[in-house]
Amino acid sequence: MIEPLLHILIAAVCCWLNFIIIDMIFNLPREGGVSGATAIAEAVRRGGGDIRGGTMMGNIVSSPDASAGTLLAACGVYCFGIAGGLTATVLVYIGNRICHDPGYAGTTGCFTATGIVYGGSLIGIPPSAFIAGMVLAILTIQGVWHPWSSRLLGAVWRWRN
Amino acid sequence: MVQQAPRGCLEVEELIPASPDQVALWVCSLVALYGAVRVITEPDTLRKLPFLNVFSFAISGIIALMIPHPLALVAAVAYFVGSTFESNAIASVYAGGMEKGEHRE
Amino acid sequence: MPGAWRRVSTVNEILLWLFGAIAVTGSVYTGISRDPFRKLIAIGLLSGAVMPLLIDRGYVDIAIALSLILPVSTIVVLQLCRKGEP
Repeated sequence: MIEPLLHILIAAVCCWLNFIIIDMIFNLPREGGVSGATAIAEAVRRGGGDIRGGTMMGNIVSSPDASAGTLLAACGVYCFGIAGGLTATVLVYIGNRICHDPGYAGTTGCFTATGIVYGGSLIGIPPSAFIAGMVLAILTIQGVWHPWSSRLLGAVWRWRN
Repeated sequence: MVQQAPRGCLEVEELIPASPDQVALWVCSLVALYGAVRVITEPDTLRKLPFLNVFSFAISGIIALMIPHPLALVAAVAYFVGSTFESNAIASVYAGGMEKGEHRE
Repeated sequence: MPGAWRRVSTVNEILLWLFGAIAVTGSVYTGISRDPFRKLIAIGLLSGAVMPLLIDRGYVDIAIALSLILPVSTIVVLQLCRKGEP
């Protein structure tokens, strides 16, 4: 039981890096893609957090971005290999259009995550570890202490600029 | 005389996960429970939505982990997109924006 | 494409009890909260907790239908709330 937990921790770090990097590339902390994101950003800022980190957290909640793409790519590869990951990419693209989101962060994140999960399965980390790892990664960003995580995201955004 | 355990008792061996898929299922279920508790105990309404998002991530993972069939993948994607759409609608109407109306606050 | 349903990982009963408890807690919280937005968030919690119970028994198509119907109902409720304001 220890070895699957180690696999899940390694997969969590890979998924965390993947979705943070793809979201920073697509400028998610700069502005809200849909109107619900700015509302959540304002609420996080009122609670003592950073506005850029809050905008990114609002974008994660309100539209399928790279975090959703990574999770659904892992689910796709778990279900039926690399074709499943590409099917998940198409479904995430449709989901982006349904949510009126103009960006491509979700589709790109799903595509890169398909490669990462497939590569991990060749090394020896099973795709189910990537599913649990992505859930743990989103827990650290959105589920522990909003001011701290929004300040962390804001610091990464300022370092990127 | 060997004493049998009463029927309906859960043996301890059943609780220990037997395969890596079951370990992942337990991790996602514990995260779902934690997310549900944080949703209920958070005082501010708009700040409940990130915790609800954590819960939805965990439930999507559980849907996909339970059955390795393509239809379960479609169910996970449909549930996730539906939950995201619903959270976005709640956040934007709470802050005062679906129709062209005046602000709530 | 496999013909029959094949459950690879067996789900412990305790996980189903856990999701049932979350569902009951979500419905109780829907009933006792005053703010209608909190009620809608709790309905989202309830629908999420019901999904694993359906999937575990194999009703995947019902789960897909429910996951499409419930958010649409929430959005229609929100639009009615906005139109009902003076």
